[in-house]
Amino acid sequence: MKLNPLTHKKIRRFQSIRRGYYSLVIFIIMIGISLFAELLINNRALIVYYKGEYYFPTYGQMIPGKIFGLDYEYETNYRELQKQFQAKNSDNWVAMPIVPYGKLETDLKEDRYPPFPPSFQEAHYLGTDNVGRDIVARLVYGFRIAIFFSLILLLANYSIGISIGIVMGYWGGKFDLFFQRIIEIWSNVPFLYVIIIISSIVVPNFMMLILIMAFFGWINMTWTMRTVTYKEKEREYILAAKSLGASNFRILFKHLLPNTVAVIVTYAPFSVSGGIVALTSLDYLGFGLPPPTPSWGELIQQGWANMNAWWISISVIVSMLITLIVVTFIGEAVREAFDPKLHTTYE
Amino acid sequence: MSIKPKNSLLQVNNLKKYYPVYTGMFLKKKIGDVRAVDGISFEILNGETLGLVGESGCGKTTCGRSILQLDPPTSGSVIFQGKDITQLRKQELRAIRKKIQVIFQDPFGSLNPRMTARNIIGELLIIHGMTDNKTEYHEQTDHLFMSVGLDPAMADRYPHEFSGGQRQRIGIARALSVKPELIVCDEPVSALDVSIQAQIINLLQDLQERFQLTYLFIAHDLAVVRHLSDRVAVMYLGNIVEIADRAELYINPLHPYTKALFSAVPIPDPEIERTREHLLIFGEVGSPFHPPAGCKFHPRCPFAKSVCREEPPFPGKTIDDNHWVACHLIQ
Repeated sequence: MKLNPLTHKKIRRFQSIRRGYYSLVIFIIMIGISLFAELLINNRALIVYYKGEYYFPTYGQMIPGKIFGLDYEYETNYRELQKQFQAKNSDNWVAMPIVPYGKLETDLKEDRYPPFPPSFQEAHYLGTDNVGRDIVARLVYGFRIAIFFSLILLLANYSIGISIGIVMGYWGGKFDLFFQRIIEIWSNVPFLYVIIIISSIVVPNFMMLILIMAFFGWINMTWTMRTVTYKEKEREYILAAKSLGASNFRILFKHLLPNTVAVIVTYAPFSVSGGIVALTSLDYLGFGLPPPTPSWGELIQQGWANMNAWWISISVIVSMLITLIVVTFIGEAVREAFDPKLHTTYE
Repeated sequence: MSIKPKNSLLQVNNLKKYYPVYTGMFLKKKIGDVRAVDGISFEILNGETLGLVGESGCGKTTCGRSILQLDPPTSGSVIFQGKDITQLRKQELRAIRKKIQVIFQDPFGSLNPRMTARNIIGELLIIHGMTDNKTEYHEQTDHLFMSVGLDPAMADRYPHEFSGGQRQRIGIARALSVKPELIVCDEPVSALDVSIQAQIINLLQDLQERFQLTYLFIAHDLAVVRHLSDRVAVMYLGNIVEIADRAELYINPLHPYTKALFSAVPIPDPEIERTREHLLIFGEVGSPFHPPAGCKFHPRCPFAKSVCREEPPFPGKTIDDNHWVACHLIQ
């Protein structure tokens, strides 16, 4: 694919903004880690070597304990299995992930009540929450949900917002006027109350929450796109396309949309951080994803409820801070790289 | 200049373009019109160049856009090859778009910055389904590039990588790509350097001969119009005040506005410049929203009589076959 040299220039400029570039690298690594979290943080073993055979339980069906000579039908407890093998000093072995706890698994002790403080010995590197779930696991799986939530939300918001906004700007007139009023009414619907009402009737799942959020979230992009389109459609190349006999569809998608990409791209990172914050706050209030879904908002809530278990609040706040700073740095760098003052199309 | 028999290609009859002005927030009340083009009629013959001159804001560009149906006219008819194109449906209009093309004034704004030069000039071919084969598309666009004096090796560059003159050539190539019969040149050289202007004008002349084109050449530069046009129409505040053959008009302008316009152009000979007669006019161009009654030029006309203030000077007078003027004072 041959990139427009202007786009090339923007990418190079983005790379030259060190802070933003490294933030993007870190962000991609974070997403990468969360995508393969099962390999790093899991109560299932990575590899089990048992009686000359290899087992890879990470993905796929659960393996009942009987397979490994245990006396139960339910899923094998690999941590116990590892201890057993080591105790017997047999040829069999189990390779566990770095954090050998699942996202929903509670690790209870007989003599103490959770939350347990951080302990390297037990591989609870950031301790556990107040029901004994590993905080690292909750953070990473929670991050995965939050980031995909905000990315899908972004996609939904932008596709609705961009299409309505561009059409409003392009056709103008009555259509524009009508949608302006609709949006004004729409944006006055108290979003939080609607969420509270809906989640008191049904427990929202992931897709439903996105649907509700997108229901209110498309408005901002619509305003922006409308304005940009109004500006862009007055330029002569649009008139030229019209005089060529280009269809409206072609003008919208071939001429207008590519010339508004800069605006869309500039807004995107800030929308991502907005999405993360929105989901976290909903979870904190208890109107987000239902428990026991791993979520940062729920962790903040737990930290608030258990102030003396300092490791809960500190770890979630630090993770949140890092994520938001990274995303904001990316956003700033993108905005700077796309700054039209640096490479204007006019001379 | 033209070889073809002189029959009419485009006829514009009493073309009007009014932009309504509204007041009030909810109950919009129309308070009047901006009369950008206020009833103009002219004819363009096959193979000729009609120059359309006038000062800024007199409606030249609006007139061009109304003919192109980019800005549908308020009333009047535009008859192209015997067919009124103001009343066409979308599909029919698209067919006409192949025959009437436009070259824009601003070579920076009229090319999509996100498309390569090849795709800009080839867009027409795709829209009108004139090619579906990739090699054919490349050949045709290369050919277009060469016909406007550009190197086809540069075809895959983006507009910002070209100079102003080169961009205007791309604009011309785009207009040429569908083999049109009429090209509306909307001040195609006024945004260019003088040296480049000459190149573009020569190119337009060459192309006219090669492809038997007809031009409606809109400009405010009288020297350019004189060089290029067969006939010249002079516009003032939405009306055409005088149409004549180029030679006739430049030697013997009749309308006071035309006279004033020509005497405002300096002659590069100090002797003549000092001694020749200057017709100076005062005041500002009237507002197209409240145009003066009668002859629109009367508030500025040094010869205005009472009839000029009361009656519009239409339908004008034909002096001889090729000279028409709208003025009460000409007998």
